Amino acid sequence: MSLLRVENVSQHFGSLIAVNGVSLTVGPGELRAVIGPNGAGKTTFFNLVSGFFPPTAGRIVFDGKDITALPAHKRVTMGMARTFQITEIFPELSVRENLRIPVEVAAGMRLMPWQSRKTDAEMQERVAQLMELGGLAAKADRLVGELPHGDQRATEIMMSLALKPRLLLLDEPTAGMGDQETYDITRLIRRLHKDQKLTIVLIEHDMRVIFHLADRIMVLAEGSILAEGTPVEIAADERVQAAYLGKAA
Amino acid sequence: MNGLNKQATNAAVWLVLLTMPYWMGAVGGYTELACRILVLGLAAMALNFLLGFTGVLSFGHAAYFGLGAYGAAMTLRYLVPSTPLSIVVGVAVGTLAAAIIGAMIVKLRGVYFAMVTIAFGQVFYFITFRWNSVTGGDDGLTGWKRQALKLGFTTIDILGNDKAFYYTILVLFAVAAGVMALLLRSPFGRTLVAIRENERRARFLGIPVEQHIWLSFVISCLFASLAGTLYALLNNFTDPRALYWGQSGNFVIMAVLGGMRSFWGPLVGAAIFVVLQDYVSTQTENWMSFVGLFFVLVVLFFPRGVLGILRRKAAS
Amino acid sequence: MTQVLVFNVFNGLIVGAFYALMALGLSLILNLSGVINFAHGGFLALGGYLAYTLIPYIGFWGALVVAPFLTAAIGLVVERLLIRRLYGRDPLYSLLLTFGLAYMFEDGTRYIWGATSLPYPVPAILTTPLSTEFFFLTGYRLFMVGLVAVAVASLFVILSRTRLGMRIRAGTLDLETVSVLGVNVRILRNLNFGLGIYLAGLAGVLAAGMLGLAPTIGASLIMPSFVAIIVGGLGSLPGTLLGGLLIGVASGITTVFFPSATEAVMYVMMGLVLLLRPQGLLGEEGRTQ
Repeated sequence: MSLLRVENVSQHFGSLIAVNGVSLTVGPGELRAVIGPNGAGKTTFFNLVSGFFPPTAGRIVFDGKDITALPAHKRVTMGMARTFQITEIFPELSVRENLRIPVEVAAGMRLMPWQSRKTDAEMQERVAQLMELGGLAAKADRLVGELPHGDQRATEIMMSLALKPRLLLLDEPTAGMGDQETYDITRLIRRLHKDQKLTIVLIEHDMRVIFHLADRIMVLAEGSILAEGTPVEIAADERVQAAYLGKAA
Repeated sequence: MNGLNKQATNAAVWLVLLTMPYWMGAVGGYTELACRILVLGLAAMALNFLLGFTGVLSFGHAAYFGLGAYGAAMTLRYLVPSTPLSIVVGVAVGTLAAAIIGAMIVKLRGVYFAMVTIAFGQVFYFITFRWNSVTGGDDGLTGWKRQALKLGFTTIDILGNDKAFYYTILVLFAVAAGVMALLLRSPFGRTLVAIRENERRARFLGIPVEQHIWLSFVISCLFASLAGTLYALLNNFTDPRALYWGQSGNFVIMAVLGGMRSFWGPLVGAAIFVVLQDYVSTQTENWMSFVGLFFVLVVLFFPRGVLGILRRKAAS
Repeated sequence: MTQVLVFNVFNGLIVGAFYALMALGLSLILNLSGVINFAHGGFLALGGYLAYTLIPYIGFWGALVVAPFLTAAIGLVVERLLIRRLYGRDPLYSLLLTFGLAYMFEDGTRYIWGATSLPYPVPAILTTPLSTEFFFLTGYRLFMVGLVAVAVASLFVILSRTRLGMRIRAGTLDLETVSVLGVNVRILRNLNFGLGIYLAGLAGVLAAGMLGLAPTIGASLIMPSFVAIIVGGLGSLPGTLLGGLLIGVASGITTVFFPSATEAVMYVMMGLVLLLRPQGLLGEEGRTQ
């Protein structure tokens, strides 16, 4: 049974067709990569899946339920978390505070007007675990906005993880990073995939990362699916090469 | 602000508030001025719950302040000479209005939200102005006074005894401030800060942003209307000016002046504003220009507010 | 009955045209710069008072031409010195600033020209009715509607045909791109503000002729502008125009049936729009931010 099934989804912005009849099926535990030249519609695709806006056409089924019209925050509650191309965190709060919020939301406490000391300790414990996992423990009380790019991304990923998601959507997690940071984030994602058994869909440009992580790859170009397959198949695909080289011109 | 600093500040504030009637006279003030600082400070703190902590640009709080005032006044004038009941009615009216209006406007943000809150403020101003058979119109509602509190074992003469009234207000203020502080420190309070810091991220953490903003709005207006009832009781009078957009602006400037990101900031801002206004109005007829100039200067030179500046100095 | 209704609808259209003129200026500034110019009413009053002061020297028509430009010039200075500093910041600050300016304008006009109402001398040619049957069609009212129509039409021509206008429209949609394309955004905002204030000043001169001058006319006329924008459509100038006219006509009709509710009806309309279509009648979906 697939976890996520996107059926023939399209997004029109006036006369601009950003996403054109894209379908995708992701089974539990998979790590799927979505690649393609700039402007291919990858982020728009993510926006549709995560509920940023409703699709012009098509259906999205998550865990057997039709979520096409479901608002974004409800998709999160159902178990879908995402990160953004431009990191969305709470820059003027500390790492600890950043993580505390999703931990509490995931524990169903978002409307609680008070908190017992015991629960407070439990929340703090969970936050500490997440920081440890993300390699952020040493920076717990620093303001996230002041941290290097890689740590901000890691915080964002940990915030998503705090929500105990079934599906994690990562939008260019290594964008703008140097080699070391890329390595660290890739390792983190791999750990999340293997140890936490998370289902992950990942938009990426960095081929090394993709080859290291992905089970299968979907290639988008100009809003449509260009190719699909294993990393080896995609690497050998001439159409894919043409799409990238063509766009580079 | 670390824990110890916070406790020290809290202690200092309460000490000052508890003893204010006694030293107020010595610095050229009077008990009624102290009462006004408390009441308007409460209103500004209530506004700041929404403005400073949830990041919502609400510019029409005078509406709920005024509804509280009129609710209390009309209860005492037309219904029953009971001060506690007047407070309850005032708060109920203001909160109900906030619940309804909040639901209507919660999809808007930024300047559009501000415009709509101002417009709704004017709606209520207009109603109190026009419905003069009931509200006394532009002349205000008179013919009533706050009643002594009959507590069974004793009667507190809040009408005749200035100090007794001050401490009554202080008790209510303490309860209100306590509840607000509790909420801001709770998981719910943290979701409000999340909304302020990055609404998109809050939404994608599973927080139903509109619902939480509505709740914050209602809570904020509840305490604003409480302040309104106390204001009416303080003056034994209320008029449409309590609802005018200028009053809303005053609350915002108090919050900004004192420091929007700090809990006690709006109270400090209210104290400065009330004292300054009191002084200036005795010196010149053109106090309106001075108030206006004050707004401009605060925005240009003190956007972080007094407590904001102090915090910076402490951190550096 | 019909004649009374017609009279009031026509009256409502005049009032609506006037609201639209003021609201358009406010909307221009809001759309491009994200600033709610609470002092707009103050500029309106200033326009009226400046015209009043100029009449003895250059006559009614001279004042009508010069006063709005003078007001706009003051607007340019205010934008340059004060408002410009606040663009990057939270909109809270520009709202507070214009709030403060509104206070200063009102008190300032009271200080300079006195608190009592001043009658505004309108030339006799405009005050005579055009016929006994349509007695309500005084020359001044027609003139006002005509002038507003010309002003609004000119505004739309400026916006669609001139370079400045196109830059303003583009800037409203995407200021960053416009800046990257080499347009001096600072000057653009400044001129746009001036244009909006010009409309306020013009509205002020017209209002003076119709209502007389008092320091409070600014404050009393700013709310209909707000409501016109909310009803007509956030971010849409045609919407603002429509909103102003609708409010005017609605209050005209209400006067016939429920005279005491005349001022309230615009708020009722606002409430309805918020419930049914929060972005306003002609507003774009998603423009609620």
